[in-house]
Amino acid sequence: MSQTAPTGDNKPNPEAGSVVFKRKGFQFMGLGTQDFIRFFFGGNASLAIIILILICVFLAKEAFMFFPQHHAGLKDYRQSGQEFVDYIGDEIGAHTNLYSSANIAYFAEVNRTSREEDDILRAHRAVLANLENLTSKTWGRFEREVDALEDVGDDLEDLDPAKEEDQPKIAALQEEKERLEKEIVKFRVELKEEVSAAINTNEAWELGVGSDAPPPESLPKLREAVLFEASPEVDEEHPYIAELKAVSKAKKAAAVEEFADFKATLKAMQDVVRPLKSLHSEIRSIASENKAVLVKLSTAADRKEAWIKGAAATKDPDEKARMLAEAEKVVIEAPDYDAMAEPFYEVIPEHAALIAPIDTEMAVLFQQLPDKVETRSAHENLKRAKVYYDRFVKTVAENRENIKGWSHEKPVSAVESVSSFLFGRDWITNSSWHDVYGLLPIFTGSLLISIIALVVAVPFAVSAAIYVNQLAPLREQNFVKPAIEFIEAIPSVVLGFFGILVFGETLRVVSQVEWLQWVPGFPMAERLTILNAGLLLAFMAIPTIFTLTEDALNNIPQALTENSLAMGASKLQTVFRVVVPTAVSGIIAAVLLGFGRIIGETMVVLLVAGNKIKIPDFTEGIGVIAQPTHTMTGIIAQELAEVDAGSLHWRALFMVGMVLFAISLIVNFSAQRVLKRFQKI
Amino acid sequence: MSDETREGSLSTDETPGGSSAVAPATADTVIEVDDVNFAYVKGKDVLRDISMQINKGQVTAFIGPSGCGKSTLLRCLNRMNDLIPTAEITKGEIRILGTDIYDPSVDVIELRKHVGMVFQKYNPFPKSIYENVAFGLRIQGIKSKSVLDEAVERSLKLAGLWEEVKDRLDSSGLGLSGGQQQRLCIARTIAVQPKIVLMDEPCSALDPISTTIIEELITQLKDEFTIVIVTHNMQQATRVSDRTAYFYLGELIEMDDTIKIFNNPSRKETEDYVSGRFG
Repeated sequence: MSQTAPTGDNKPNPEAGSVVFKRKGFQFMGLGTQDFIRFFFGGNASLAIIILILICVFLAKEAFMFFPQHHAGLKDYRQSGQEFVDYIGDEIGAHTNLYSSANIAYFAEVNRTSREEDDILRAHRAVLANLENLTSKTWGRFEREVDALEDVGDDLEDLDPAKEEDQPKIAALQEEKERLEKEIVKFRVELKEEVSAAINTNEAWELGVGSDAPPPESLPKLREAVLFEASPEVDEEHPYIAELKAVSKAKKAAAVEEFADFKATLKAMQDVVRPLKSLHSEIRSIASENKAVLVKLSTAADRKEAWIKGAAATKDPDEKARMLAEAEKVVIEAPDYDAMAEPFYEVIPEHAALIAPIDTEMAVLFQQLPDKVETRSAHENLKRAKVYYDRFVKTVAENRENIKGWSHEKPVSAVESVSSFLFGRDWITNSSWHDVYGLLPIFTGSLLISIIALVVAVPFAVSAAIYVNQLAPLREQNFVKPAIEFIEAIPSVVLGFFGILVFGETLRVVSQVEWLQWVPGFPMAERLTILNAGLLLAFMAIPTIFTLTEDALNNIPQALTENSLAMGASKLQTVFRVVVPTAVSGIIAAVLLGFGRIIGETMVVLLVAGNKIKIPDFTEGIGVIAQPTHTMTGIIAQELAEVDAGSLHWRALFMVGMVLFAISLIVNFSAQRVLKRFQKI
Repeated sequence: MSDETREGSLSTDETPGGSSAVAPATADTVIEVDDVNFAYVKGKDVLRDISMQINKGQVTAFIGPSGCGKSTLLRCLNRMNDLIPTAEITKGEIRILGTDIYDPSVDVIELRKHVGMVFQKYNPFPKSIYENVAFGLRIQGIKSKSVLDEAVERSLKLAGLWEEVKDRLDSSGLGLSGGQQQRLCIARTIAVQPKIVLMDEPCSALDPISTTIIEELITQLKDEFTIVIVTHNMQQATRVSDRTAYFYLGELIEMDDTIKIFNNPSRKETEDYVSGRFG
């Protein structure tokens, strides 16, 4: 081919060989357009990584500063003697738990005898109130008329019938009076009709549900009593109600008599701990004073430091001198720790003398609690009392050593400051006594909610995915899949709203149904519970798990299904022996990612979990799910906005965030490991 | 086109309109295809007026250019086309061992136990070698260890895989080489002792050495099973089959003894195809 011939759009070039291979187009510093586009995208990717690293670094920095501060706090706690006081407080607390459980049992038993009457009376009150609501308008008018009639009567009395000039007025008033009287009679009839009409509506006839409902044979009489009392002429009680009240009162009195021993035991229990309580409150105030001194000391140091820092930053020499002078003025005087702790050492023998008889006497008193009770509530509360008694004994035994060996000088170890956070059983903030940051209450809350959510969501989501992907006809697939995936689009705050208003209330009402009482935790007293939050979170996790499981099933080659079917396997055999086992890694990963979604969810749990910072009471067994709780995510969202930046509380919340971060990290990491492991087969 | 050269057909009659002048089924006939039309989508027949008989103990090869309907017909034989919702036989009957397999009273699952299938892409289940072979028996509810052991060993021996895997029956079936995996699939298919084995291009994804092994295996297996094989490879058809059917555009052009088809076909189209002038 000719080298110089201009063919097409190729420019002629004397060196044909080099023309062919030379780079064309935009060039800058040896880089072409493609390179720049590549760098642009690469840059974006690395920016994301850099931001992730920054987040980790700052989160970690804020969070881990928690431990030195926490350490200082614990040191103050010990030196002020608060620790010592709390040992005794623990004993009293354990005793109170035991006492109140037994007390509830006592009242349940006493009220049991008159339960039927009480139920009827309660229904009576409820129906009357409902009727009043329903007929309130007519009542209002009726009462206005009655008032007007009274006014007219008063006016008439003021006038003198003997006086000539008053005669026309009197006549007018008389006329008015007659009119009103007629009106009132008419209203009475009207009201009566309205009441008897209203009593037939469901709204009025709401008698309580489940075990609270009055016996059916009492209903006619109850109706009569209500009609009687609701009618406008009557002001007194219907004899039936009065009788019921008397019977209830008598039965209660008899029951009190019957359970006199029980009552005496309870009283003895309360009396025996009284001296310890007064000792506790005595030394408690000493510890409070000590604490105030220590807080003053640490704030003084902070202030001094702030002045010095400010001085270093200002350029104006006068201002600088003034600030340094201010700093000079702040005196940091270490208090006499030994003197502060002195009163507590004095108390040690006194406490030992007090606790020994309490211990032995409680053992006797506990045995005196009745074994056999009739009501379920009493039975459960006595069972709980048993648990609390064991805890009480344990607390006393432990604290005996703790109190004997207590020393205000004992250094707080680093391990202690970490473990008291990770395994601390209380989360108490803004307290006038001592702030405690223990992870366990919120951690157990998060964990319980997550477990419920997973237990509910996994079977639903996985089986829905299997059905939709493998068994459903195409038309159904095209409807169900988008429908489930749409759930994901519901804002969680909306879902939380729904959870409070609709779901929580429904759950509570359902829990009162009589034939469901075998379900642990039923009947539920609260709307905002672990169960409610768990179920809502399950609802939120279902689309995540569903979609990922569906993807995993989709990735199973069609050929495997065909092979199995060609072997004579039925559709179900194919699904459960070939498809699902092959997709199991994907399904496990889907569940783990669903768990990640659940544990990280904030809004719903904040709205629905009840936000009670307390380790749930596991003595109720599975019934624990009917209690309110708080979560790690919820507590951050709720408290972070209200705390001072840099304070111990602030850092504690960061630490909680760190723990959440670590959990998510572990979950994601294990999800990936699981995927890899199963892909090998 | 087929009208002009009708006189060549021997064992089949592919007259449009389907007069079904099929030779009467002999005792050896296991598959009878009687004037069948088949459509994936209503109104578009992809198989037209197919009639043929396949005899016991023979290897029958289906050949023809891509899209001619040979695989479709094969998949009709164990009703794998049922998986496609709109697909159906629009005319005619397929009888296997004397039963119309599209009759509503037929249990597809029973049918497939008797008509096994080996696919183009080898696809062992992600289970152990042992479980792969035992799969067919397990889904039939057989739990006895001795029965399973015996069947697994027999099938692997028949598939010529026993010596290679007998020490690692518990390792994953996916760890084998391509040729071994295909033989594992064959072992899996024959473990349930079907009467008929359908093979849909079983060697097209394999290297030449594995292909040779599988081909030898096919010729050995025909003593026990009736085999129908779809192949693109005409040499393979000559090597393994007793009879060959040539399809073109959804019609069966000619079916005869393999030697005749390749040396002296009755129809011009067949000759064009087997001689490589077309296809």
